[in-house]
Amino acid sequence: MSIEQPASQSWLQIRAHFGGLARTRMATTRAVVLVALLIWAALTPSFLSAPSLTALLTTASVIGCLSAGMTFITISGNVMSFALGATAASSAMVFLLLLNAAGLIAALIGALLFGAALTGFQGLIVGWIRANPIIVSIAANVLIYGAFTWLTGNESVNADANASHSLLKTAIGGVPIEFLIFITAIVLGQIVLSYTVFGRNLLLVGSGLPAAEAVGLPITPIVFGAYCCAGFLSALSGILLAIRYNQANMSFAVHYDYDAIAAVLVGGTPIQGGDGSMIRTLVGVGAISIIQVVLLLYGFEEQWRYFATGLIVLLVIILYSGRRV
Amino acid sequence: MTPIFLRPTVRPFLILVGVVLLLAAIDAGNGRILTVATAYSALQSFSTFALVALGLGLTMLIGEFDLSIAGVFGLAGCVALTTGAENAEIGLLCAVGVGAAFGLLQGLVITSLDLGSVPVTLGGLLTASGLSYVITHNQAISSDNLDLATTINDQIAGVFSIRSLVVLAIFAACAIVFAATRLGRDLVAVGSDRKAAIIAGVEVKKLVLGAFTFSGVMAALSGSMLSYGLASASPSGLSDVLVPSAAAAILGGVSLSGGTGTPFGVAAGALTLTMLRSGLNAVAAPPFAHDLATGLILLAVAVSDAPYLMRRMTFLGSRFRRTLE
Repeated sequence: MSIEQPASQSWLQIRAHFGGLARTRMATTRAVVLVALLIWAALTPSFLSAPSLTALLTTASVIGCLSAGMTFITISGNVMSFALGATAASSAMVFLLLLNAAGLIAALIGALLFGAALTGFQGLIVGWIRANPIIVSIAANVLIYGAFTWLTGNESVNADANASHSLLKTAIGGVPIEFLIFITAIVLGQIVLSYTVFGRNLLLVGSGLPAAEAVGLPITPIVFGAYCCAGFLSALSGILLAIRYNQANMSFAVHYDYDAIAAVLVGGTPIQGGDGSMIRTLVGVGAISIIQVVLLLYGFEEQWRYFATGLIVLLVIILYSGRRV
Repeated sequence: MTPIFLRPTVRPFLILVGVVLLLAAIDAGNGRILTVATAYSALQSFSTFALVALGLGLTMLIGEFDLSIAGVFGLAGCVALTTGAENAEIGLLCAVGVGAAFGLLQGLVITSLDLGSVPVTLGGLLTASGLSYVITHNQAISSDNLDLATTINDQIAGVFSIRSLVVLAIFAACAIVFAATRLGRDLVAVGSDRKAAIIAGVEVKKLVLGAFTFSGVMAALSGSMLSYGLASASPSGLSDVLVPSAAAAILGGVSLSGGTGTPFGVAAGALTLTMLRSGLNAVAAPPFAHDLATGLILLAVAVSDAPYLMRRMTFLGSRFRRTLE
């Protein structure tokens, strides 16, 4: 017997139309919206020019790596992290500091490990004692900003003139190398999710923590792993930023957390976790970046982008998210 | 049985007394920290976020979480300054109206669609913050009504100001309603066991709606009072209010799992934070020290509120004893 107070019938019908009952219909709606978006973009003057497309691909790569990281956290059932943008910015600084001191290889390894450890630590707290993931990530965000403002005296870190990272700035066949890195990250992420024990376990933990615990899955290592992957990918997006601008500071990745969660949700990974894929995130990143570039081409300034992102997230959550988290 | 000093109704006040004693000890009679000026500045910073903490605490008490407060706080400041250029009262009314509308709409979505409050208010946060970027054209705005700014911040009886008196009055009113009316007990009932509350005849939906509206109004009121006090508003600055508010509510004995907490507890939690900040100010600590201190406190309270903390500690304790034997 259910003792929940029933939601109003008309709303339930509207929601049944979009989500829950008919997954094919849900996918169809999504596909129609995306095709409409593509047509709109193609009809936008100068969207199909080389500079605009290159800008699209580089923007998508940076936000995309962060979104791929966010996907791990969302799938694990921990909603989102407010600290991935800060992780990306701080990893970019670590990358440049190591690049100036010890060369490219050491910088890459150091920055990626730094990002993974930073976020992994939050995963450890969330997984082991089940601390609230949102609160932990908000606290981590402030701590990272505070610590790095302290360490760097609130100044940018610059790359030395003779630093050896320019080989990562090239384009292969007209495609920026950042985009190839992003696609590689998506493919590897999808392989981890679909074909490894860790990935399958992660989906289980996200879809029902009590059940996963009852069958004896090691919850703490799985959540820890998901956060490590998220930190690794955030650091990757920070490195891409550092390479592009030759410098890094803490204001780099402001708003990236929001763009990333928007991409994850628009792609179709549900916010309550337990389901989702990197391919969906790839689609979501495409949609979010196309919207950004098109708004820019029509002369809308940055603030409209923020507003549009907010409305899209709200709409997707209202239409698609399942019953309470 | 929990020892009396750990009970959520007692703990916040003990922590507050502890912090005051700590500051007194550091001060050691030099008259640098515990002065009238410090008390005034502590009450001023108390009045910027204590009401937000109260609203957030109320949503936490009934087992929900309102992330949107940070967005509504900033939005209200921007609305107040843009609409209140001629007449400050109209600006305040508009800002509070926007806050109430935001809270009410989110509450309606949450109750009528039976969605989780974290995703819905995440959408609300992004929309509100996007909206404030749009109405300010992505710039900090200022008002030339400096008379108003000085009036509401003027010292009254040394330590108070109009702003802090308004905040204290609202706290007192809430504490009376909470302790002496059925409303207070109903709220606790909803947070402790929602199904039981429904069976007992509590109108849960109305309370949830009311709580989110209250939280929106409180965020808007604090945001517009702060903007009038500073004679300026800016669309950015998310973590400035979310971090201390969440920390104050949890420090004040409100649990993220719902069912515990009182208005006076939240006030004690907020005072604890502001005393620490004023202490840091009095010893001329650099700005990042605030970030680090509040971040660490938020992380610590998130850990202390974590549902598995006691279980893990017991486990570690028993393992430790076994290795000793």
